[in-house]
Amino acid sequence: MSKPYILLVEDNPDDIELTQRAFAKNHIINEVVVLRDGAEACEFLFNSDRAGRALPQVILLDLKLPKVSGLEVLEKIRAHEGTALIPTVILTSSKQEEDLLEGYRLGVNSYVRKPVDFNEFVEAVRQVGLYWLVLNEAPPVAGGGI
Amino acid sequence: MSETTTDAAVLQPNLALVLERITDGFFALDADWRIAYMNAEARRLLRVDADPIGHVWLEQFPKARGRLFEREYGRAMREQTPVQFVEYSTTADCWFEVKAYPSPDGLSVYFRDVSSRIEAQREVERNARRQRAIIDFGRSALGGLSYDQLLADALDLIRDVLETPIVEVYRYDRQRHRFVVGGAIGWPTGTAFDPGDPPLGHVQHSVRTGEPFVSTDLRIDPRARTLASLEPSGARACICVLIGTPYQPVGTILAYSMQPRTFAVGDVRFVESIAQTVAEAASAHESNRQMRQVIESIRDAFVSVDRDLRISYVNERMARFWGYSPAEMIGMPLADITSPSADAGARAYGFFEAALHTGRPQYFENLFGERWYEFRIYPFSDGVAAYVRDITRRKAEQDRIIELNAELERRVAERTKQLELANKELESFSYSVSHDLRAPLRAIDGFSIALVEDYGEQLDERARNYLDRVRKAAQRMADLIDALLRLARVARAAITYSTVDLSEIVESFVAELRDRDPERAVEFVVRPGLEASGEPNLLRAALENLLGNAWKFTRNAERPRIEFGQNEGGEFFVRDNGAGFDMSYGNKLFGAFQRLHAVEEFEGTGIGLATVARIVHRHGGSIRAEGAIGKGAAFYFTLPSHPDGAA
Repeated sequence: MSKPYILLVEDNPDDIELTQRAFAKNHIINEVVVLRDGAEACEFLFNSDRAGRALPQVILLDLKLPKVSGLEVLEKIRAHEGTALIPTVILTSSKQEEDLLEGYRLGVNSYVRKPVDFNEFVEAVRQVGLYWLVLNEAPPVAGGGI
Repeated sequence: MSETTTDAAVLQPNLALVLERITDGFFALDADWRIAYMNAEARRLLRVDADPIGHVWLEQFPKARGRLFEREYGRAMREQTPVQFVEYSTTADCWFEVKAYPSPDGLSVYFRDVSSRIEAQREVERNARRQRAIIDFGRSALGGLSYDQLLADALDLIRDVLETPIVEVYRYDRQRHRFVVGGAIGWPTGTAFDPGDPPLGHVQHSVRTGEPFVSTDLRIDPRARTLASLEPSGARACICVLIGTPYQPVGTILAYSMQPRTFAVGDVRFVESIAQTVAEAASAHESNRQMRQVIESIRDAFVSVDRDLRISYVNERMARFWGYSPAEMIGMPLADITSPSADAGARAYGFFEAALHTGRPQYFENLFGERWYEFRIYPFSDGVAAYVRDITRRKAEQDRIIELNAELERRVAERTKQLELANKELESFSYSVSHDLRAPLRAIDGFSIALVEDYGEQLDERARNYLDRVRKAAQRMADLIDALLRLARVARAAITYSTVDLSEIVESFVAELRDRDPERAVEFVVRPGLEASGEPNLLRAALENLLGNAWKFTRNAERPRIEFGQNEGGEFFVRDNGAGFDMSYGNKLFGAFQRLHAVEEFEGTGIGLATVARIVHRHGGSIRAEGAIGKGAAFYFTLPSHPDGAA
């Protein structure tokens, strides 16, 4: 049984590094698994093998992804029995009204806009991590891999 | 012989006594036509003053020569037979009934004045003649005789019946309000007859009163004054009768006799009857003429048919359409007309029948060859009337309008489609902008911080300052992107109207501003209860922009004051006493990325007012600004009321 980890679905290497840096600055030591596009994410999540891993504790999902968009990935996560309950947070640059509405309609747990100001970004990541990894009680089937 | 003489001498006084007493006129002629005796009555009747005894009869009464008197007396003596006759005496100017008894010695003549009896009898005959004449005349008036012919007939008839040699008629000229001679017969040759003669006094008399003017002798009649022109004609007695009424005169008829004459009442009535008939004919003629003028003035083709669908009237235009002249079409059955287009003709015929049978007007459009005609058929008591108009041009215009409309609709649809596409493109563009343009900025900021954090010791103050500026620039660009997106969103947003309490929005935003910047003391004057109709979110954004600006630009004011209200012209306004602006740059105020202040002085993207202007315009309103450097700025905007919003 693997340790609880964070799944980051993000294609921009700068954002990946900055997000990881933000985790580090906030002393979040959980492993961060990074997937570079929507197709990869689907394959990872819906393949029972999953390189021997359990399901992630929380999924941080960018919206604008190559191949399969973030919203499509979200829809699949919620439609799939095994992944339906995984806490999923949209972490994106967009705050388009349509994206917000569609995200919540598809059952996202949180919608966080990445600020341009890195200090604000660090703070946002801190709060997300604190909330979803510490404060929030995960649903029984998800993440724990019991 | 002597005995006889004696007898006669004896008898004479007695006989004379008897003869003087009888009421008849009596005279005796001897065999040589000498007057042997004449009683007083005879002398009175024959107007004999001097003693006629012994005079030859024809010498005493020369006017009797060759007349019935002479002829009959001669026959009585010749044939020794009594004679009896009635004759008019020009000597006595009366009618005598005469009985003459011959003897071998001569002739005894008894006579009496029977003028009144004869006159009565003749009057009966004349009356009968007048009646016949009036009836005949009325008949010819009804029988489609032209008005002019009718007038000519009237003149002849009056002359014949009244035995007046001169008859004339005046016509009333309605345009010039005067009578002009319209026709005359019997003017003696050598007498001037001028159609332009001014009307005579008695014409005016009858026109004024409406009563006939009858004069026994014009020369002594005080009412007939203007007779100078009549004098040479020798006319003496006159009847003048008005045609029509004094209110609506048509003309006058005048009949003159050459001798003084007392016209019989029947004569006057006769002329009045003729005048009455003429007046009726004139009225019919006039209304006919007017009707015809009306019909001919119609630019439409016109045809009326009787209840058997035979043509009763057709105007020039209509007849030409069918290829006939109007005259040859009267009475023609509609069915016999060869239409320029058989199908269209049959169709039109059906509508004529329908109008006749249903009694309802019919309206239809019909194509004859290449031309369109509009038919309007109206039933009336004697048949139906049809107005036909060439509407080819109107039809073509209608077709063109329909075509243009279709074209317009097609273009609108096309344009709409293009717009929809453009909107979609814009949407995905904005999406990319918000997502893709921000990511590099975040990287710039993030790695600048990383540099400072990880390599801080190796950087001097100046390097850190540069990095700080890099970060500020990135932040500013992020703000610009957000502002641009807001502007684009305003352009695209659908507007659902409702009543919006502007004052409330202002109040709540003022509270927010104070919260954000508690150390600033700004006086706010907000007029409560100002409402407008519009999209609440957009109006909020506009007001927040204006108030935000006012808040920003009053930063350096001594006693900052911001006001929201509505002026007398109905414009809402946000006014401040801050930095203001130079009115000569006023036109740049509402353009995107236009700034009138340095960024270091007052921060901002330069898109706020562009957004406000766009919001106001999208609501159908207008916006303007007033200001002066150092004296503050005021923004005035209107928001027209919209049916969906109560305000």
